[in-house]
Amino acid sequence: MSPSGRLTDQSARPRRRLAAVAALAVAALTALALPSGPAAAEDSPSPSVSGSGSGGASAVPEHGRSTFVLGVKQDIDSFNPYMGVVATAYEVYQLVYDYLTGSSASDFSAVPNLAESWETSPDGKVWTYHIRQGVKWSDGQPLTAKDVAYSFQRAKDGEQENAQYAAYVDQISKIEATDANTVVMTTEEPSPSMLRLLVPIVPEHIWRDVPSKKVKEYANDNKPVGSGPFTLTEVKSGQYYRFAANKSYWAGAPKIDELIIRVFTNDEAMANALKKGEIDMLNDVTYGVLESLQNQPGITTSSSKYSGFSEIAYNLGAETIEGKKIGNGNPALTDKQVRLAIDYAIDRKTLLEKVLRGHGSEGSGVIPPIYPNWHWNPGGGARGFDLAKANSTLDAAGYVKGADGIRAKGGTRLELRLFGRDNSEESKKAVEYVRDWLGQIGIKVNVQIMSEDNLTEVIGKGEYDMFQWGWVVEPDPDFQLSVFTCDQRSYTDAGEVAAGWSDSFYCNPAFDALYKKQKTLLDPGQRAEVIKQAQQMLYDDVVYSTIWYYDNPEAYRSDRFTGLQRQPTDGGSFVFQYGTYSYRSVEPVAEKPKDEGTGLGLVLGVAGGVVGAAAVAVLVVALRRRSTADDRE
Amino acid sequence: MAIPAVASASETAEVAAAGRRISRAGGGRWVLRKLFGAALTLAFVLVFNFVLFRLMPGDPAKAFLRGRAANPERLIQLRQQLGLGEPLPVQFWRYAMATVSGNLGDSWSMGNRPVTELIAERLWPTVLLSGTSVVLAALIGMWLGARAGWRHGRAFDKLTSGAAIGLYSLPEWWFGLLLLLLFGSTTGLALFPSGGMTDPRGGLNPAVDALYHLVLPCATLTLVYIAEYSLVMRSSVLDERYADYLTTARAKGLRDDQVLSRHALPNALLPTLTLFFMSLGYVVSGAITVETVFSWPGLGYLSYEALSGPDIPLLQGLFLVFSASVILLNLVADLIYPFIDPRVRLA
Repeated sequence: MSPSGRLTDQSARPRRRLAAVAALAVAALTALALPSGPAAAEDSPSPSVSGSGSGGASAVPEHGRSTFVLGVKQDIDSFNPYMGVVATAYEVYQLVYDYLTGSSASDFSAVPNLAESWETSPDGKVWTYHIRQGVKWSDGQPLTAKDVAYSFQRAKDGEQENAQYAAYVDQISKIEATDANTVVMTTEEPSPSMLRLLVPIVPEHIWRDVPSKKVKEYANDNKPVGSGPFTLTEVKSGQYYRFAANKSYWAGAPKIDELIIRVFTNDEAMANALKKGEIDMLNDVTYGVLESLQNQPGITTSSSKYSGFSEIAYNLGAETIEGKKIGNGNPALTDKQVRLAIDYAIDRKTLLEKVLRGHGSEGSGVIPPIYPNWHWNPGGGARGFDLAKANSTLDAAGYVKGADGIRAKGGTRLELRLFGRDNSEESKKAVEYVRDWLGQIGIKVNVQIMSEDNLTEVIGKGEYDMFQWGWVVEPDPDFQLSVFTCDQRSYTDAGEVAAGWSDSFYCNPAFDALYKKQKTLLDPGQRAEVIKQAQQMLYDDVVYSTIWYYDNPEAYRSDRFTGLQRQPTDGGSFVFQYGTYSYRSVEPVAEKPKDEGTGLGLVLGVAGGVVGAAAVAVLVVALRRRSTADDRE
Repeated sequence: MAIPAVASASETAEVAAAGRRISRAGGGRWVLRKLFGAALTLAFVLVFNFVLFRLMPGDPAKAFLRGRAANPERLIQLRQQLGLGEPLPVQFWRYAMATVSGNLGDSWSMGNRPVTELIAERLWPTVLLSGTSVVLAALIGMWLGARAGWRHGRAFDKLTSGAAIGLYSLPEWWFGLLLLLLFGSTTGLALFPSGGMTDPRGGLNPAVDALYHLVLPCATLTLVYIAEYSLVMRSSVLDERYADYLTTARAKGLRDDQVLSRHALPNALLPTLTLFFMSLGYVVSGAITVETVFSWPGLGYLSYEALSGPDIPLLQGLFLVFSASVILLNLVADLIYPFIDPRVRLA
């Protein structure tokens, strides 16, 4: 294309060409404007929603249907339960499918779901589940033990299916539906996780037509058949997903008629939509946005207890499983006294108040207190913030301050890298605080902020000293503890170092023994004992400095809806639970007609748009008329 | 734009002659050269795309699993499946062949769906948003620029040029947020929805609903883009302003705005049209940040989602589609151009 500059200083040019140009411009305009027709036409509402004028403003339109709209920030990646990864997708699987057992609303303990009851053989290796009778799939077919066995067998045999659910089925050696209402499973070793098998139960009569090899291509988004409390009725990728209540759900019909999950790309827009009543609930926003919703009329905010924690992690001497030293971690961190001193120099209270703005609690054990049965904390024996003690610990360990104020022992200077994550404001702030505190005990910290992908990479290779990150812990603590076992360290694959789940390179046979032991204890009390011992060992060895347990920010329209249920009952989350409690119990507040002003806004907005378009049209016509008038002169 | 569609007989003949010259004398070769240039650029993009995403840090097999626990055997198997073990030239050959046959691979983050399907699904919302904005910005910009240049130095000129430059210098996403705050939130006027393309609660005709949701993001892009057109238009009108033929026109007794619209404007329009055609290429890729601010379900938002994966096949596909659309639309502009301005074929 010729540079435009060359064309500017030309003299008279025939007009016919310009007419052609105008025609082209109009053609281009039309071509661009036309698609709006078909594109918009696709958005016709599903038949279940009638176009009532007040629909935009109130949760209960005149004809009495109630729709609950949940705003999320993470789009659903797949409706196929063998493919999806993100939390929103798992939330949908829970809505559409049932599971063998559930987690109680009060404390996550195992409760009946499709399995009405169960027994264990005396050796703890044979599990018999009695499947609820009379449950129907959404297409009317009965749900039987065969469907349950099929779902588990598929999760075990299918390559992709197993990649998704390996954690729940790998220990099962045999799955059998002995009659229409009984499933028997056999395990190699007694396993407590047999009561928390989060494998969705899918209908065999649908999925047998989807071979494992083709499972990746199966979107499962066209009114999938399930037995859960809701059915998927409409998919608008990147916009919203509509679900109809299963009025014959075995555990009782949901009290709302319809649930919509609507996707937003940013916190501000989502919070704004809640304020305006376009949505009824949101979560997963920053604490700042949550605070902006406090004291808004009609909105209730909740800093709900959550299952996540954050830590400052250390490189305890990176080594592969094969025993090869890797990475370039500062050897001083293999000295427990140094880590202990660092831990004394971290003021968890300040971090909680200044960085987390109070939306959480101070950290200790690696299983958060939201799981009271498993959580361990040092109680009175906690290491408090004590710079003097930190200094004396380093003195005693032989690290002496040099002329530059930085401690060293032998050739090892206490100069450490600390990595923060670029997508988390909290992470960036926390590492700054830690740097300042460590500066006060003669440790020089070089802070570096990087992406989580990059951080994952350097951790796997052991090329770090310290970093700030966190974990979200499942109701079963097995996985979280496994992260600290020797087997989860990096390994050599095809001559290259590949990472496991370990991000500390901790390897302690005593810990591994505790981990293996808890895996086989069926009695929750005995198991909890071992799990607490394991957490204490991690605390005593300063594998992590767990800094806080953070809250889940949630807010909803309490002027419209009531009956949301927390899990755990004591201060837990309303949605994104292990179960569908809130979706089934939420109900519209009794009639209280109120004009939100959205209707007026809409009218004004459309009117404004129409006026604008009309103005443009008038302008064009006027110019055209004038020019032709000129020509007529 | 209102452009006088009358020309003298001699002028018409000249155009016709110019048209013939294009088609006969070397026109075919000229078109071929343009086509070849575009094909070459596309090929370069293909190679660059391949190399760029092979340079990214990280283990694709791990990224593919995205946090799911996997044993080493599964990782090795996956690397084989993804064709990662093979030498780079072989990988490139496969990638190029697949791309040419229209297969952009399967997404990693969106449940393994084909990239082409994902892109096709999000293409129209983007074209609707950016296309409308580009056309509106061009129309308004040309009109403002012509008036400003004609009354150079007056209050209207100072006001519109200043405003246009001011808006142009704003980051789109920031300006979008500002509009959202002013016109879409309860702290402001709350006239428009806070994002998305339709309200799932319903209650409105879907087409009207989509237009209603379009207003704010479209206004954001339009206002920011106006300066591109108004400033170029202004300077070309300025260039024409003292030309002899305008003096002649005035001497004929034409009113001032007739001189502008019938004589100066047609001649000053070319650079702006060039700009317009060139911007059409960016219609597909132009609204990434604004789509993110307004939760508009288009390609920009898809890129944003792909980046947070990171979903390499999807990113790779998006990059290719973005570059290809710029190249192809520029090619179209190139091919149309001789009909607008015959001198171009000499270039």
